[in-house]
Amino acid sequence: MSILLDMLKPGFLLHHALWGSVVVGFVCPLVGVYFVLRRLVFWGVALPQVSASGIAFAFMLQGLGLNFMSGGEAGERHLAILGAVVFTVATILVLAMLERRGAGLSEGRIGALYALAWATSILFVAWNAAGETEMLGLLKGEIVSISESDFHLMLDIFAALAGCMFLFQREFTLVSYDRDMAVTLGRNALVWDLLLYLIIGLTVSLGVMTVGPLVIFGFLVIPPLAALPWARGMASLSLLASLLGGLSAFGGFYLSYTRDLPLGPVVVCIACAVYALSSAARLLVPRSS
Amino acid sequence: MTKKDSEPLIRFKNASLGYGKSPVLTKVDLEIRPGEFWGILGYNGSGKTTILKTMLGLIPCLRGEVREHGRLFGRPSFGYVPQKERLDPLYPLTARAVTAMGTYRKLDLLQRLRGAGHGDLVKRCLADCGATSLAERRLSDLSGGQKQRVLIARALAAEPEILVLDEPLAGIDITTQQALLELLKDLKERHKLTILMVSHRVSAEKGLFTHIAWVDEGRVTTGASGDMLSSGRLSEVFRSEL
Repeated sequence: MSILLDMLKPGFLLHHALWGSVVVGFVCPLVGVYFVLRRLVFWGVALPQVSASGIAFAFMLQGLGLNFMSGGEAGERHLAILGAVVFTVATILVLAMLERRGAGLSEGRIGALYALAWATSILFVAWNAAGETEMLGLLKGEIVSISESDFHLMLDIFAALAGCMFLFQREFTLVSYDRDMAVTLGRNALVWDLLLYLIIGLTVSLGVMTVGPLVIFGFLVIPPLAALPWARGMASLSLLASLLGGLSAFGGFYLSYTRDLPLGPVVVCIACAVYALSSAARLLVPRSS
Repeated sequence: MTKKDSEPLIRFKNASLGYGKSPVLTKVDLEIRPGEFWGILGYNGSGKTTILKTMLGLIPCLRGEVREHGRLFGRPSFGYVPQKERLDPLYPLTARAVTAMGTYRKLDLLQRLRGAGHGDLVKRCLADCGATSLAERRLSDLSGGQKQRVLIARALAAEPEILVLDEPLAGIDITTQQALLELLKDLKERHKLTILMVSHRVSAEKGLFTHIAWVDEGRVTTGASGDMLSSGRLSEVFRSEL
């Protein structure tokens, strides 16, 4: 109990890591809901890895002496964020365009993309051996060293992204559920799709910088799946998934801290346990009609 | 009848319709006037849905003209009932939430931030379609006929001039089909609707149509229901259906 209270104190040594994980745990499921409902779960595997590849690309640029961001370590971090955002958003747009055209095998595309992103992550880092350690740290989501101002900026951005997800929930639901109806009602489905993809891109990129690709994939998919059987509307699905994500992150951090275990895998295991419990409970509790 | 009443709501003039650069239908001439009940009929894959999609603005007209109210085709006031199988049952949406989608055209962001809504309209549309008791149930849990009622309620919530239904009777038993047709007849009278209904088969519904568009082999033949039903090819088709 005293450990738990220590964790909640403002002076807690790892408070960036704790609250960063929890905030990502709350926000990622909000966009993950659309991955699940649009049946694009495998995007959730590939995009965090693409984001990691973008970070590695930024490190490669630094290795080649092409860091155009000033500010030492903070500059390096900003360049890495930029790399992640550019790679992720560009990839989402290309994937969305190909999905719209309906050309080729979607799962095959995602599989190839995942392999490519993984391979390029390693190759880009190979160009900057000095950055390898830092890169590994970033990919594992080690945000202990982030400055206070950057940390608060990151929280503000996540808050803004979450706000957008709730504010435009009707439009995102309509274009996802029945695109033809949206157009018939005079909605510009393409614009709403692009906005959703931009929010997804930013969430995934910043999330990967915060907790790493494995945890982001977990947060994108597992809490929405756990919440889905209990939801009676998009608002309840989003809120419940977000709550489960945040609680999994907090519980995972507590366990990781007290048992000295790696944070990412513990968080994902806890989220999976919640999903298993939810599925089992759904089998036991009859659905009201 | 006033001049405005006699003006076509939609007019296709020598139009070529299709996807990309490939026309599915050519030389389409079609005029839909207020109060008419059109059956757009034809075999599977004949191009019925292509007409519907062009009308709704989902795909552009390849050649020729499509006009609405005498203006170049823009943003018409349609209520659209898609094929129910197209809607993914994974979404945890209640019948009320689905019906409320019809009102989204009317609410802008500022109104929504002020907490405005169209609860009464949604309630009324569900009641008009005999779906009040279904309001809090998930759409995915409903039977085919119940789903169709909710989707018609959603279309009504858009307060449309034209109600467009894509294969509304497909996969529904005869008794429920009759009930849905009665509902459409009733809604047409009460809401002064113009209705277009796409179907690949014709039985009970043919008595409701005032006009028929027969889609076959890349062409569209149109006319008053009585004339079309008694004309050579179509009477053979209907005889074989019955």
